Amino acid sequence: MIYLTKRLGLSAAVILLVVAVLFSLLHLIPGDPATIALGPRATPEAIARYAAKMHLDEPVWTQFLIYVGNALTGDLGVDVFSDRPVATIIGERLGFTLALVCAGLGWAVLLGVPLGCLAAVRPNTALDRVTGLLSVGTIAVPSFLVSIWALLIFAVGLGWLPAIGAGEPGDLGDQLRHLVLPAFAIGLSWVGYLARMVRASMLEVMGETYIRSARAFGLRPRRVVFGYALRVAILPTVTLIGMGFGGLISSTVFAEIIFARPGLGKLIFDAVMARNFPIVQGGVLVATALYIVVVLLSDLIVAWLDPRVRETL
Amino acid sequence: MAKDTTGDEATLLDIRNLSVDFRTPRGRVKALRDVSFAVPRGKFVGVVGESGSGKSTVLWSILGLLAGNAEVTSGQILFGERDMLRLSEEAMRAARGEEISVVFQDPMTSQIPVLSYARQMRDILYRRRGMSAAEKRRRGIAMLEKVGIPDPGERVDQYPHQFSGGMRQRAGIAMALLTEPNLLLADEPTTALDVTMEAQIIHLLQELQTEFDATVVVVSHNLGLIAELCDQVVVMYAGEVVETGDVRSIFHAPQHPYTRALLECDPARIAERSRRLPVIPGDIPDLTRPLGGCIFADRCPRAMEVCRAETPPDHATPAGGIARCHLVAGPHADAAWPPPADVATVRAGEGGGARRASPDAGTAPVLEVEDLNVRFPTMGSLSARLKGVKDPFVDAVLDVSLSVREGETVGLVGESGSGKTTLGRAVLHLVASQGGSVRFGGEEIRTMREGRFKPLRRDMAMMFQDPVGSLSPRKSVRALITEPLQIHGIDTDLDAEAERLAGLVRLPKAFLSRYPHELSGGQARRVGVARALALNPRLIIADEPTAGLDVSVQGEILNLMAELQAEHGLGYLVITHNLPVVRHISDRLAIMYLGRIVEQGDAEAIFAEPAHPYTEALVRGVPQPDPDRRRTHVSISGEVPSLVNRPTGCDFVGRCPYAQERCRIEKPRHRVQEDGRVHACHFPLR
Amino acid sequence: METGLPPVDASRLPEDALEDTMRESAARERREKLRMFLTSWQGMTGLVLVLVFFASAIFAPWLAPYDPNALNIPARLSSPTAEHWAGTDQLGRDTFSRILYGGRVALKIAAIGVSVSLVVGLILGMMAGFGPRWLDNLLLLLFDTVRAFPTIILALATVALTGPSLELVLAIVIITSIPQYARVARTATLSLKSADFIIAERSLGASTPRILFQHVMPNVVGPLLILAAMEVPVVVTVEAGLSFLGLGVLPPTASWGTILNEGYLVIRDTPWMVIAGGVPLILTTLGFTFLGEALRDIFDPRMGKGR
Repeated sequence: MIYLTKRLGLSAAVILLVVAVLFSLLHLIPGDPATIALGPRATPEAIARYAAKMHLDEPVWTQFLIYVGNALTGDLGVDVFSDRPVATIIGERLGFTLALVCAGLGWAVLLGVPLGCLAAVRPNTALDRVTGLLSVGTIAVPSFLVSIWALLIFAVGLGWLPAIGAGEPGDLGDQLRHLVLPAFAIGLSWVGYLARMVRASMLEVMGETYIRSARAFGLRPRRVVFGYALRVAILPTVTLIGMGFGGLISSTVFAEIIFARPGLGKLIFDAVMARNFPIVQGGVLVATALYIVVVLLSDLIVAWLDPRVRETL
Repeated sequence: MAKDTTGDEATLLDIRNLSVDFRTPRGRVKALRDVSFAVPRGKFVGVVGESGSGKSTVLWSILGLLAGNAEVTSGQILFGERDMLRLSEEAMRAARGEEISVVFQDPMTSQIPVLSYARQMRDILYRRRGMSAAEKRRRGIAMLEKVGIPDPGERVDQYPHQFSGGMRQRAGIAMALLTEPNLLLADEPTTALDVTMEAQIIHLLQELQTEFDATVVVVSHNLGLIAELCDQVVVMYAGEVVETGDVRSIFHAPQHPYTRALLECDPARIAERSRRLPVIPGDIPDLTRPLGGCIFADRCPRAMEVCRAETPPDHATPAGGIARCHLVAGPHADAAWPPPADVATVRAGEGGGARRASPDAGTAPVLEVEDLNVRFPTMGSLSARLKGVKDPFVDAVLDVSLSVREGETVGLVGESGSGKTTLGRAVLHLVASQGGSVRFGGEEIRTMREGRFKPLRRDMAMMFQDPVGSLSPRKSVRALITEPLQIHGIDTDLDAEAERLAGLVRLPKAFLSRYPHELSGGQARRVGVARALALNPRLIIADEPTAGLDVSVQGEILNLMAELQAEHGLGYLVITHNLPVVRHISDRLAIMYLGRIVEQGDAEAIFAEPAHPYTEALVRGVPQPDPDRRRTHVSISGEVPSLVNRPTGCDFVGRCPYAQERCRIEKPRHRVQEDGRVHACHFPLR
Repeated sequence: METGLPPVDASRLPEDALEDTMRESAARERREKLRMFLTSWQGMTGLVLVLVFFASAIFAPWLAPYDPNALNIPARLSSPTAEHWAGTDQLGRDTFSRILYGGRVALKIAAIGVSVSLVVGLILGMMAGFGPRWLDNLLLLLFDTVRAFPTIILALATVALTGPSLELVLAIVIITSIPQYARVARTATLSLKSADFIIAERSLGASTPRILFQHVMPNVVGPLLILAAMEVPVVVTVEAGLSFLGLGVLPPTASWGTILNEGYLVIRDTPWMVIAGGVPLILTTLGFTFLGEALRDIFDPRMGKGR
């Protein structure tokens, strides 16, 4: 219980601070907050409505509490142009982002973790060297460059896969084909990252005394590697996946912009370009919350996998 | 009971001419050279040696689990019909865990933390295809019960971290015996354990060996453990077997000068209390270089010319063993060798001199501690509130009183978790203390602010348990030993001072430009002593001054400390768990248990006649390096309880063989006997 | 400081002389490390690439064949030729010259960004690790909050308010990387805080500043420097990425990101601009990654690849 309470409390505090940062960004800028929030193109009515809703005549502290209260109840404000609730708009787009993130991370995990294991089991062999080189190579190439070059080669040059959009709604095959390139682009550096991470923690665990004990008891190598070493080595890897998720969100933003995919990142980017501040604010809050939740989840998974922490859960 | 796969020969394991090299950046280390010995069926065989002797390498060679950079260059390891060195990986694996099993040194690191014991035991039994999972579980539970784990049915589903240290080692033994192996290897099975636990594990191993009729190879540096357990002994030095024989001949009539010297150095064997402990000067030879002659020649007190030129053959000893020494037989044999048991072959350090009388009681104490208390929070205040714990503290040091006089050595003895280190640190303001008084030279220092206390630090120095780890890793030895002078702004020629201090602790000048990781344990220890001495202190608090040192060299440090004490009238508070050592160097002893001092008084008298049952258990718990003085029973059971669960009555009540009703209810107060002995027991033994 | 004991003649002690030859000297170890570095192709490749990066950025005005902003409409969107080694953009500007000048932007951001965040991160991390518990918790909460903003998301949020600029890129780079350094410094400091040698220093009466600067910092700086080498590619990538999105360096200033941006817009007409803009970026990140890895393997084998 203690661990869970602490961890949840910390996440809540971070989210609260994030909200505070977003709130103060708006208020630190000189000028009328309503005009800044709604942008130069907002109508006077909209500004008056916003001012009333946010209680702009009240002290800043009250305004903050109202802002937090709204955010907690899912009220992220209203889109300046369409007058639709921001939460609804984000909800429509979030699915595309989540699909992309899952696909990208998914193939990276499926390839990277086994590669890392194999490299760790046979250190200093050709396989290990190739994996090492591949890891460094893929980590060094920025994901947005992978996106651009993948677009150039597979969509523009070879014409194998569609370049832009997310596919026809309802047509699963088309949607999947549209997913391939962006998922490839955001997952590529993760293959290397994971392979290296798994290899390093596997090598460390393989040197532990309890691995030698398992071998001294004559357990099969497969059992020692996957039942014992990986069982321990996976713990830091899960933590690192959680921590690296922020980077994954960043790559997703790029991929969505480059492949014109209507996800959360593209939404925020377009809103920034149009100075549509309610959308920016809401989108940033959701993206950040997503990251915090993933980190929390990864920590809880690690805690659950590790009996030493599970006890305090 | 044991499976019979090796015919009815008397020899179960036969190691012949085993040589192993390690490839290192420094070159090939010839870790084992021509090692041969046999393990008879149904016997305990002890392999004894100091660090670098290659004893563990032998053990891992048997299992075929040497490190990746090791290379077996020659030899055979015959296990029945099979040569373990030439078995396929498959066949090797079939033998491991099934026919040959291992008890590991440190149960904390040798058991996987994320799997339950039930799961680990099922994995070990994976070859028994005929057995159902439920049967395997039952077998595991039965074995846990056999090694003395209470409630095995429930505890089998627990994880290693839920077991205490001693319980873990019991579980480790249970796992090793699960398949009823023919051969059990035990790698320093008690080194990671406290004295009282060690006695219990030794006893358990003896019992189980009788029950399973197993053959056991025990690898250890602990002569007491070997004498207690083994039938036959193999003595190793620097990668060679220097002597073998049955346990009595090894301990009573050793033939090889090294065996002889090793035994003479063991403080537990020295009956007569003396300040000077014998040492074997020198260090083991560099095994990367080509070796000629006797491996021990450079350190041997009886080395002859022939010893450096010619490798001695394995001569048969009168008792049926072998000794690799020119003195024993052949053209260079010496009829007067070995001398009678009471003649020392190694010098008892330099300076010599009889034991000085302890300072008389009239001398003013340098350090006086009275009712000192140190409390640690067990959890954060928030967690405590959440859990509803009113008093989230434990008493690491509880109402401790002791004093150290000038020129006196007080030994502070206790097992891990007794609070002895905390007490030492609290005196020096390294840990905050909560109540009581600490006086230094009559002045109250416990509540002193750091600003006022700092000048007093010049008079009080500390030596730390980890000799290398207590030196700042990126400073040279020169910077390290002159740092106290700089901290206290003493204006002097630092270079000259560095050389003077190095000379004082007999550290060659060349070492001044070295860094801590380039020092051996003994050298780093001397740097620690030099740092402690830099400011001419009156009191030194030494925390485990011999930790990590081999028996043959620990005397050097202790002798050095004694010499400096005689010269400067230093007061020592020596914190240790090593009873044989503390017995030799202490004037007075204080025994700590769960943060309290349970007995205090004259060292010699306490060893002769303990008053507190815990002291008795400690004194009797040390395995004696004498096979004729084996114990038949273990005086106390159980383990040191956690500070969180301090008993209401006497702290020792749960483990005390003499406990009565009153002990459970009332905490015994400290009482003083006529001769000054202080104890905290309702029913003292004297 | 006279103790009255005569100094002992060290030459009488054969055991130490023997030990002496057995143990490696510091100089030998340093030589060995240098040799390891010089013979590792990874490290050498990294070093060469990094040197090329520095040289080309510093000497861009002398190396560039053209003025990076000189228009030459007739020669627009040229493929690589003898005159234009990397082709030209839609305004006919020489891409190779623009790459060289773009390197100056990358170098500036990397140098300032990495050094400022390293120093601030080191100080904050040591404060968190060595200071009282509440300070540690407070700083950790702050680090966690900053890290909760994915870099690009934070950039988007601030650009929405202030508009794009080079200073903004720098600020974002510094803010987002401080927690990285601080965390490493904190972990290292925390493990040292209870280390025996620090307690030993305290027992001698060493002051807190003395302990921090003389004994903690030398042991914390090493891993941070290695991290810094590994962070340079991240910083360079962030700058290029933000400029690519139009959130960083503004046209007409040449940056690898703006070259990619302009190339992306004409990707269906010519592949050369996105290729030319990407290659220097990859070579730079590869160079620093190789160098960082090699340094880590040599100086701190535990942190990285094991053996």
